[in-house]
Amino acid sequence: MIRDSVAGICRSYGRTWFQELYKADKRSTELWENLGENGFIGLNIPEEYGGGGLGIFEICIVCEEAAAAGTPLLLLVVSAAINATLISKFGSPEQKQEFLPPLAAGRSIMAFAITEPDAGSNSHQIATTATRDGDIYRLNGRKTFISGVDEADWILVVARTGVDDKGKAMLSIFVVDAEMPGLEKTVIETAIPSPEKQWMLFFDDAEVPATRLIGNEHEGLRAVFLGLNPERITGAAMGLGLARYALDKAAQYCREREVWGVPIGMHQGVSHPLAERKIELELAKLMTQKAATLYDQDLPCGEEANMAKFAAAEASINSVDQAMQALGGNGMTIEYGLADLWPMARLMRTAPVSREMILNFVAQHSLGLPKSY
Amino acid sequence: MNIVVCAKQVPDTAAEKRLSSDGTLDRSNDADQILNPLDEYGTEAALKLVEANGGEVTILMVGPKSATETLRKKALPMGADKAIQVTDEALHGSDAVATAYALAQALKQVEGFDLVILGSESTDARGSLVPSALSEFTGLPGLTFAKSIEVDGNVVRIQREGDKGFETVEAEMPAIVSVVKGINEPRYPSFKGIMAAKNKPLDEKDAAGAGIDTSMVGLANSKSKVGEWKERPPKEAGTIVEDDGEAFAKLADWLEENKLL
Ligand SMILES: Cc1cc2nc3c(=O)[nH]c(=O)nc-3n(C[C@H](O)[C@H](O)[C@H](O)COP(=O)(O)OP(=O)(O)OC[C@H]3O[C@@H](n4cnc5c(N)ncnc54)[C@H](O)[C@@H]3O)c2cc1C
Repeated sequence: MIRDSVAGICRSYGRTWFQELYKADKRSTELWENLGENGFIGLNIPEEYGGGGLGIFEICIVCEEAAAAGTPLLLLVVSAAINATLISKFGSPEQKQEFLPPLAAGRSIMAFAITEPDAGSNSHQIATTATRDGDIYRLNGRKTFISGVDEADWILVVARTGVDDKGKAMLSIFVVDAEMPGLEKTVIETAIPSPEKQWMLFFDDAEVPATRLIGNEHEGLRAVFLGLNPERITGAAMGLGLARYALDKAAQYCREREVWGVPIGMHQGVSHPLAERKIELELAKLMTQKAATLYDQDLPCGEEANMAKFAAAEASINSVDQAMQALGGNGMTIEYGLADLWPMARLMRTAPVSREMILNFVAQHSLGLPKSY
Repeated sequence: MNIVVCAKQVPDTAAEKRLSSDGTLDRSNDADQILNPLDEYGTEAALKLVEANGGEVTILMVGPKSATETLRKKALPMGADKAIQVTDEALHGSDAVATAYALAQALKQVEGFDLVILGSESTDARGSLVPSALSEFTGLPGLTFAKSIEVDGNVVRIQREGDKGFETVEAEMPAIVSVVKGINEPRYPSFKGIMAAKNKPLDEKDAAGAGIDTSMVGLANSKSKVGEWKERPPKEAGTIVEDDGEAFAKLADWLEENKLL
């Protein structure tokens, strides 16, 4: 039933609406707020803070259905999946009271800033520092590719607060206001036709009240790792939705389009690759659901979350690509909404964690091969 | 104000429909069963009125046992407060008039309603007879094909779209109103609505419990009989008009011959 409502709401906006947004450089706020008012953005936030009291499994449904309607909401993956999880698990009662209700209601968005120019796949390299100074921390450093900063009220920032005896960075996480003295932002132009924008952030002695530290000082790495599984799982769910959107479009087109007097779907050269994509999609979905179920039961799910993310990314790229092929020239048009979905599907192979880093993980942890880096 | 919405379960509008050997709609195939789309408009209209004026919305459904799911999954999650479901083998095959009789009897047990709202048709039968027949059986004024509804004191006023414009029709309540597609945009059940629906009261009655005389309902007792029927003939190839510069005249002739102009 959650699925039906979310799908219905997203379809009532639809792909064309979404395309008008990115063409006009507008945001998908209206859809976000609509889903929020109806209780679907905060499904995984505890009930006492205005959420649905459910888990990652359910927020995955929202990610998947939004994408399957042709209106993918990238910020669900950061705001709802990572940030709401981190604050629910590590925030103080006051912090939960401040941040969770507006997030649950879809009135506010929180961006997530971990990536830096010199720390992408390798978060041990994080160079942004937070230095304690009485009741405040001073933030200095740069973050890059941070999605949705212009739409957000807050940004969850991962910064270095020290080094341990082995010389490794000790990290902490802070919630900072998206508009604050000492924080400059510039947009990074990407080729992803989507309403969300990515930003470079510059912190120059930006003062953050110490009350905005989430969890214990120096223990941010553990928190971040905990947030990364929900990110991977919901990212996978979004990929599944993109794949479904593409396959639905292709199947409908191939039932109707006739080139040699029969629907092109009768040619196995057209139908078999689509059928293979469908199998990939369903298998990826099964792994995504397995990972979400394990996560929601507080069981280890790193392997499953990584595999789901990998499989869903590949399924979405392959499905969009195959659907474009099945539509012939129409595959390239804006009207059919496939070619302009491809960069988003393709993004799934790179972010939030790259294909190679997942293969590293599986090689090392699932197969017991030597660590390669 | 208290509003009763009559709602029916129908096979998914897009699904292929077949008749069974007794001439009634074959409901045994595996098409998804949904709330009649016109009843979504009716439910939405009722919810809007109650949100503005206070009161309760009760769904009244005559249908098979399996229709409970449609109540729990759609009408109640949308926001209706409770439901009455009349379920009895004896009702199977009832035509529009017999159904209206059954609804009228069931309504007698509902205390103090101001309005009864129905969809103007169900997408499986498309008769549009039930609202008017219900008005006959209950003796209440019937305002049909409403494109808008408003309530003003104890008067209900609707606009009905006609060929040449709108008619405004009003009646004192209690009254029966049927609504057309486009009167509103039915909401999708919110998460709260979905959760709350699980525990909303659902009063299930058999025919006797609803005060229905079973000699008035069912296939055998319905006044309309299906004499004969045929499968829809396969689509014939259309006429292709080549444009030799005169195509417009041929098209105009065709439209005229088929009385479309
Ligand atoms: C559209 C978009 C939105 C984003 N949104 C956010 C956001 O909201 N918040 C945020 O913090 N970040 C965000 N990111 C950043 C994203 O998470 C990073 O781009 C991603 O983690 C990769 O990091 P990198 O770009 O530094 O690549 P690098 O780490 O420089 O990697 C470059 C290449 O080298 C490969 N590589 C690296 N190490 C190894 C190794 N050991 N073995 C094999 N191969 C290796 C990688 O797989 C990759 O192919 C976003 C990125 C994009 C493009």
